[in-house]
Amino acid sequence: MERIEAIEALAAHKGQGLSVATMRAIPDWYAQGEGIAPHMHLDNRGCMGGAAPMALGLALAQPDKQVMCIDGDGSLLMQLGVLASIAGCAPENFFHIVLVNGVYETSGQQPIPGADSVDFAAMALGAGYKAGYNFDDLGVLRERLPGCFNQKGPVMIAIKVAPGDISVGVPPGRPGDHIGELRKTLVGA
Amino acid sequence: MTTSTAYCESVPASVLHAEISKLGVEHLLIVPDTHQKTLLRSLKDDAAFKMHTFSTEDEALCVNAGLWTGGAEALVIIQNVGLFAAMNSLRGVCMDMHVPTCMLVGQYSRNVNLPVDEDPSSGCRLIQGMLASIGVPCYVIDREDDVGVLSKAFAQSREQRGPVVVLVSAPTA
Repeated sequence: MERIEAIEALAAHKGQGLSVATMRAIPDWYAQGEGIAPHMHLDNRGCMGGAAPMALGLALAQPDKQVMCIDGDGSLLMQLGVLASIAGCAPENFFHIVLVNGVYETSGQQPIPGADSVDFAAMALGAGYKAGYNFDDLGVLRERLPGCFNQKGPVMIAIKVAPGDISVGVPPGRPGDHIGELRKTLVGA
Repeated sequence: MTTSTAYCESVPASVLHAEISKLGVEHLLIVPDTHQKTLLRSLKDDAAFKMHTFSTEDEALCVNAGLWTGGAEALVIIQNVGLFAAMNSLRGVCMDMHVPTCMLVGQYSRNVNLPVDEDPSSGCRLIQGMLASIGVPCYVIDREDDVGVLSKAFAQSREQRGPVVVLVSAPTA
């Protein structure tokens, strides 16, 4: 499965919820157009591992909104303890997607530690997530995503994708571009 | 007659607790700090706060960013060595994303009988210089009379939209 295909399937479930994306998921998320994908959305640029705890904070502050964190396998490994923190806080509105391509893509596709053995859904379940799923087939992913999002979180959705084309750049912008705008949308200040 | 040679004194947890209650924060984001254990114990029993314990200081700073974006106010309570460990989030999130971040930081292993710049612990001795080098404002609570700097620091973090640190020199009483 290509990452853009997985992102398209996920974007269909964003609705009026919130999203946080990191690293190479960012250009594919914006490729979904001017619709709901980039609306009420936050990028995590330049701080690998920060997407999940940022999304956790959003989920705690906005418990009535679905929060979708679009993480990467290499990024999550940089703050892996966050699985326990998320499970401990137990936000019912938290959906943790990990795009598993098995490599650090932009630096030359070096394999992540344990690329052939790490099971992110199993680790999340072991930490205390309410549910965890692994997908490697696009058809199955599309079929089962509604059920994944129609339950109480925290939920881990790990999706095996092929390494992407690193010539596709991250959209220009600075790390803080969206955060004030999103806060203003949510709380008016 | 006794003569104190201490450069800093323990502040009662109740005094710091009362100052924190003035900030208007709902969430306390902690990575446990032995230096401030009496304060943490006091805060844990206060229903006015939601206390969250994290695995790392990086997490605490990033969660603070998400909370603030979503309209919730938080105070980060960690220790000096944890702040050193969280430099990438301090830089990449608190500073570059312009996130109001107020941190109460225990000077773990501080020798109260020495000036801080002569402390054998590099975690205590270097932290103010490190923060100054990256432009993060820093205040120090050396004794009870200094506790008011916490409210000042919290307000400054909101006005300037960035990180501000308050160091707690002696272990809380």
